[in-house]
Amino acid sequence: MAAEPEVLTPPPEPPQRYRWPRVVGLLFVAVGLVCFGSAAVLARLGRPLVATPFNATVSAGNPEVEPANLRKRAVRAEKELDKLHPKGVYIVVDAYRNQLHLVENSRVIRSAVCSTGTGIVLKDPRNGKQWIFDTPLGERMVERKVKHPVWAKPDWAFVEEGFLPPTDPNERFDDASLGDYALYIGDGYIIHGTLFKSLLGRRVTHGCIRLGDEDLEFLYRHAPIGTRVYLY
Amino acid sequence: MRRLALACISISLAALGARAGDVPPDAARVAALELEAGLAKRPFVYLVLDPQRRVLEIKARGAVLDTVQLTGIEVISQQPLLTRKTPGRPPIPAVWTLKSGPGDTDREVIAPTELRPAPKDDEEEVEPTPAATPTGPMPTPTQVPVPPPSYRSRLANGWDLWITDRLPPQSAFGTFMAAVRDGWRRLRGQGEDHPPAVTLAMSDEDARRIHHLMRTGTRILVASEL
Repeated sequence: MAAEPEVLTPPPEPPQRYRWPRVVGLLFVAVGLVCFGSAAVLARLGRPLVATPFNATVSAGNPEVEPANLRKRAVRAEKELDKLHPKGVYIVVDAYRNQLHLVENSRVIRSAVCSTGTGIVLKDPRNGKQWIFDTPLGERMVERKVKHPVWAKPDWAFVEEGFLPPTDPNERFDDASLGDYALYIGDGYIIHGTLFKSLLGRRVTHGCIRLGDEDLEFLYRHAPIGTRVYLY
Repeated sequence: MRRLALACISISLAALGARAGDVPPDAARVAALELEAGLAKRPFVYLVLDPQRRVLEIKARGAVLDTVQLTGIEVISQQPLLTRKTPGRPPIPAVWTLKSGPGDTDREVIAPTELRPAPKDDEEEVEPTPAATPTGPMPTPTQVPVPPPSYRSRLANGWDLWITDRLPPQSAFGTFMAAVRDGWRRLRGQGEDHPPAVTLAMSDEDARRIHHLMRTGTRILVASEL
């Protein structure tokens, strides 16, 4: 009796739950590689901002210059600077913080809250003329001082309100807006008082510097004509 | 013994000749003083950047009007990630001039569409206003925009001056990510190239308050230990 041939059965497959994590893992690795590769290519293309220390080179030192000559030049430059340095009483205006300081011999004798220019640009619809409401920067001088000043309103004061500037000059005079005192610092810019005291400390003016009543009176009494004004 | 005596005498004579005042001044300092004297002759505000003391001074006529403390001074330039090279060093002392700055342009414009005749004084009397009501120039109704804490100005020497309240991150990962972002922009044709920028980091308040000084023609003296 011949033995029946043994039927070969394939080995059992591993359960499917073991296959999926491997596939997902491989997928993640593949995606990761693609992302990293793309990022690397993009990074190679890009030019990022790189900071290096500011190591400026001192280039003015000329060893051939004679020490005596150098000394002379230094003394001359120092003398020039000393001559230019403000002396006595002067006014400093910080246009961002809206502060005014009265300085006497390098010592602040009065600090006041003021209002300065908005920096806004006004355009005249008739001819496109522009006014920039900036408080000027740099050095100026108190050219004249007036008690109970009258303001001759310029064109922009009407244009800003949407009015045509009047042809009759008498319609321009205003004896209330500037307060009790005015210190004229050139080109129509004035240090003056204000009716809008709640706006002191803010940039709301057309370029002039507004002060509160007491500060203005102090400035009027202590800053003579010719006083330098430094605005920044 | 005689030799020793001669040596002593010659040393004493040399010491006698070299008085304290004879120490030659530093050439760079003299050049800086001369540059400042030139700036102070003009009635304008100028800035003095002292990298050593890390301060930016606002000056006029040689007088310090205000001082800004810097938290960092760096040269920031755009460079490929793998092939970095240090940008050229600006020589100092030098006067930098602003070719253009945000103080010129960041302004609001108001323009009435049409103008009508101003009311006469006697017309106003028809409807009298209370005496306490203020007259005169009305305060500008528009809110003044707050200046930004980070902005660039172009210098006449081709560099930029970047005022900022924070320096860009310089960690390896941060730089890599910045490179990826910039690469992506360039791939879409939106990449921008900036010249190297001398970057002054300071508090946001300080950055805002010197914004209006950054306008065409502003001069900056760069010098150490004036």
